[in-house]
Amino acid sequence: MPSDPHDQAEELIPWYAMGQLDAADRTLVETHLASCARCQRQLAGEQVLIDQFQAMSPEIDSGWAQLRGQIEARPARPSVRETLAEFWDLLKRPVVAVLATAQVAFVAAAALLFQWISQPTYVALGAGQAAASANIIVMFKPEAREADLRGAIAGSGGTLVGGPTEADAYLIHVPANARPGAVEKLQRNSNVTLAQPIDAAQ
Amino acid sequence: MILNGAARRPRTEANRSSVLEENELLARVRARDLHAFERLYRIYQPRLARFLFNLVQRPQLVEEVLNDTMMVVWDTAGNFRGGSKLSTWVFSIAYRKAMKAKMRWPDPVEEQPFDPRVSSDPGPDEELEHQRLHDALMTAMNELSADHRAVVDLTYFHGLGYREIAEIMHCPVDTVKTRMFHARRRLKQAMSGQMFDWI
Repeated sequence: MPSDPHDQAEELIPWYAMGQLDAADRTLVETHLASCARCQRQLAGEQVLIDQFQAMSPEIDSGWAQLRGQIEARPARPSVRETLAEFWDLLKRPVVAVLATAQVAFVAAAALLFQWISQPTYVALGAGQAAASANIIVMFKPEAREADLRGAIAGSGGTLVGGPTEADAYLIHVPANARPGAVEKLQRNSNVTLAQPIDAAQ
Repeated sequence: MILNGAARRPRTEANRSSVLEENELLARVRARDLHAFERLYRIYQPRLARFLFNLVQRPQLVEEVLNDTMMVVWDTAGNFRGGSKLSTWVFSIAYRKAMKAKMRWPDPVEEQPFDPRVSSDPGPDEELEHQRLHDALMTAMNELSADHRAVVDLTYFHGLGYREIAEIMHCPVDTVKTRMFHARRRLKQAMSGQMFDWI
């Protein structure tokens, strides 16, 4: 950026003329313009130029029909079933299978560790089982927003009881009889990368 | 004083509603709604055509690059995270596509000057004057590099700020300012005598 106020203002004149400067830049330009006849002339010339530019538009035919034809001529996108089948084929490869198993084992271990840590250190005599022990583990895509997470969990009928773990997994509790349906709903959610039961069905 | 009212103010309300409409259309495009995509195409086609015409200067290439750009929008709509304006994202795709197309067609256009029509309808004398100014401006524009033309067009026609232009062209903001400064100087020199003296 130039250090001279005149040069700084001169560079910004096109965007000043278009009303596209923030407050700080606008103040800089206006302060300088107030005392610089040369920049005032530039601004006037700028506006003639802008009017000329804006009065012109090229005549290009719309290519929508062609583009639509290209889209419609493409093979349909693979269904979820086909995508899962491809994924399964990939998992069956030995190296991938070992890595995937290791990753799932890590997530499960992290979830169990979290569950163990989150147990109360004491239980009053006669107290029942903790009301909301986690029975589903779920992981989301990295780009999923907080609202997506909340929506997915609420949509499954579950309650968040823990997470994110070190592996970015969340722990959810649902009533035992609702768990299969909740897991299925989570697995169908496009923001979810993994959803599975983490203890024996109650 | 010359300052008062000199600067054009952006039409913020209209801009806001069009941004909302475009984002709603994109959400439907993500769900593979071809009607929504057609609507989005028709919103962007004139703006992209103008931008691309300036960059590639070959009428026959404009439609190809424009459709390539919109095909990327259709294919990767799910990747747009809203970190920038939708228009910035679309124009940056168009810019990259145009630059690639220029690499395939490195030679200057076989005398196909950038010749958009003047859309106003003035009287005969005024029309002549406008036409002269228009011709001088087009000649001057054609002598600029593609990057300089892009900055001029994105600023004067599309009304974008220098930060947004830098995002589209993947370059520092100071580069945008410098390109604009030199482009204006070249335009001014080329149009000497056509417009009143700027300096």
